[in-house]
Amino acid sequence: MSAASPSSSAVDVPLLPRDFALDRAFAETGHGVRPARAGTRVLNAGSLDGLESEPCRIVPDGKSSIGVYLIDGCLYAVRNQCPHKGAPLCRGQLGSTYRPVGAGAEPFEEVLCNRVLRCPWHGWEFDVVSGKGLYDAQGRVRTYPVRLNSNREIEIFI
Amino acid sequence: MGIFDCDIHVYPSDSCPLESFVPDKLRLAVELGMDTQPWNGYRNPHGVNRRDVECDNAADLARLHLDPAGVIRGVLQPQPGLYLSMIQNVDVANAMARVWNDWQAENYLAQDARLLGSACLNMADPVAAAHEIRRIAANPQFVQVVVPGEAAFLYGHRFYDPVFAACEECGLVFALHPGVEGALSSSTPVGRPSTYLEWHSTLSLTYQAHVASMVCEGLFERFPRLRVMLVEGGIAWLPHLLWRLDKNFKALRHTVPRLRRLPSEYVFDHVWFTSQPIEEPADARDFLSLLGMVRAEERLCFSSDFPHWDFDDPGNVFPSSVSVAWREKIFRRNAEGLYGQRPAALPLPPNPQTPSAG
Repeated sequence: MSAASPSSSAVDVPLLPRDFALDRAFAETGHGVRPARAGTRVLNAGSLDGLESEPCRIVPDGKSSIGVYLIDGCLYAVRNQCPHKGAPLCRGQLGSTYRPVGAGAEPFEEVLCNRVLRCPWHGWEFDVVSGKGLYDAQGRVRTYPVRLNSNREIEIFI
Repeated sequence: MGIFDCDIHVYPSDSCPLESFVPDKLRLAVELGMDTQPWNGYRNPHGVNRRDVECDNAADLARLHLDPAGVIRGVLQPQPGLYLSMIQNVDVANAMARVWNDWQAENYLAQDARLLGSACLNMADPVAAAHEIRRIAANPQFVQVVVPGEAAFLYGHRFYDPVFAACEECGLVFALHPGVEGALSSSTPVGRPSTYLEWHSTLSLTYQAHVASMVCEGLFERFPRLRVMLVEGGIAWLPHLLWRLDKNFKALRHTVPRLRRLPSEYVFDHVWFTSQPIEEPADARDFLSLLGMVRAEERLCFSSDFPHWDFDDPGNVFPSSVSVAWREKIFRRNAEGLYGQRPAALPLPPNPQTPSAG
C-alpha cells in the first residue's frame, strides 16, 4: 500500500485508490458500438443519400426517436433522450473534448474529435460511438448497431 | 536625429493573424473562450442558452415554454438589464433602467397576461432607483425589482434604504439574481476563480453574505414588510448559514442589538427562494431532508430558468417522493403568497395542473 520504504523518514501515507471514474469513462469510449442483441427488430432510417449534409437525422420510433450520425464514413445511432432529464439529446452539438489527465500530464489533450455529443439542455457530454457518458463512470446513452442494406438504406437494430 | 518611441500598439489582423501561433492542443480552449479575462466576466464556453430553443419574443416564450409546461404565471428576469447597476456612468445607468423596464413592459408584459415583471434598477443610485420603482409600480404586472448578487455594498447596508422603502411602499418583492459576480472585485472573498465551473458553483457565497448582512444589519427591523426573493442561488447552503447565525447569535447577540429575534426567524419570515438549479443528491431521501431543513413547503418557489443551459424542467425536477401537497405549494401556492400583494399576480384560474411525479 505504501510507496515509502520502511527505512524512509517519510510519513507512511497509504495511496488513495487509483481507479478514477473519469479514466474508466474515457476508457470505455474505446469499446466501440455495442453489438445488437438477439431477436432485435429493424428500424428503417431512410436513404444514406443526403446524410452527409445533415448534422443528425432524427428518426421516430414509436413514442421515442433515434438520432443517426455519419461520422468519418461510419454510421452511428443514438437514443434521442438524455438519461439525465430526458432532453432531446440529438439536438445537441457534436464536437470534441479534452481528456481528463490529472496532475502529471499536460492538459488540453483534445480527443474524440467529432464524436462528442453535448446535451442541448444541461451540457452533459456523451460519446456517440460507444454511448458512454463522459461525466461519470456509470452514465451512458443507449446506442444501436447500424448497417446499410443493399438499397443504400440505413437500418437500425433496436 | 531619429526618434525612440516607447509605446506603439500592434494587433492581430487578417494580414497577420494570431491563430497560426496557437498550438493545436490549445485551439479548443481558445474556441471555447477559456482565455477570458476579468473584464469579460465568466463565460460559459458553450453559451448560457439551451441549444434546442430560440426564444426571441413573447410569442416564442409562450410557444416554447409557457404553453407546453403549463405555466400560468411567469416572472421575467431581463438580461443583461438586471446587471445595469454595474454601468459605470451613474446617469446612463439610471436612464438605462427606464429603458429596460419600458422594453420589458411593452414587449412582454403587454403581450401576455401570464407574464409578471422584474424591474431593473441602478443600485449605485438608490434615490434614483426608488424613483424608478414608484414609476414602474403603476404597471400592476411588475411584481418585483431585481438586482445582481454583485454589489458595491452588502444588501443589508442602509445605503440602499430608499430602495427598500419604495419596495415596501409599492408591495414589490426585492429579488437577487446571480451573474457578474466578480465584476467589481472578486466573486470569492479570497480571489478570482479560474473557470466558469468554479465561479458558477460558488455563487452561493455571495448570497450567504447578503443574507447574513440583511439579518445582522437589522434590515427587517427597519422594513418589517419587506419581502426578499433569492433567485437561482440554490438552497443547500441555507441550513448551514442559519445554524451558524443562530448559534453565534446566542453568544454575540449584544453585538447586534437591533435584532429582537433569532436570525433564522427573520429569514423564514422575510426571505423566499427559487428552486433552480435544484440540488440533485444521489439519494432522494437526502433531497427530502433538505426540503425540510429549508422549510420548502413555505419558502421554496419553483423556477425553471428557461431557456438557460442549467434550467429545470417542471415535469421531472423533483424526485417522485416529493408529495403532491408539497408540489402544490412549491409549484404555485408559495409564489402566489409572495407576489399576491400585486394585483396582476392574482386571481388565478381554478384547478390548474400541477406537474406530477416525473
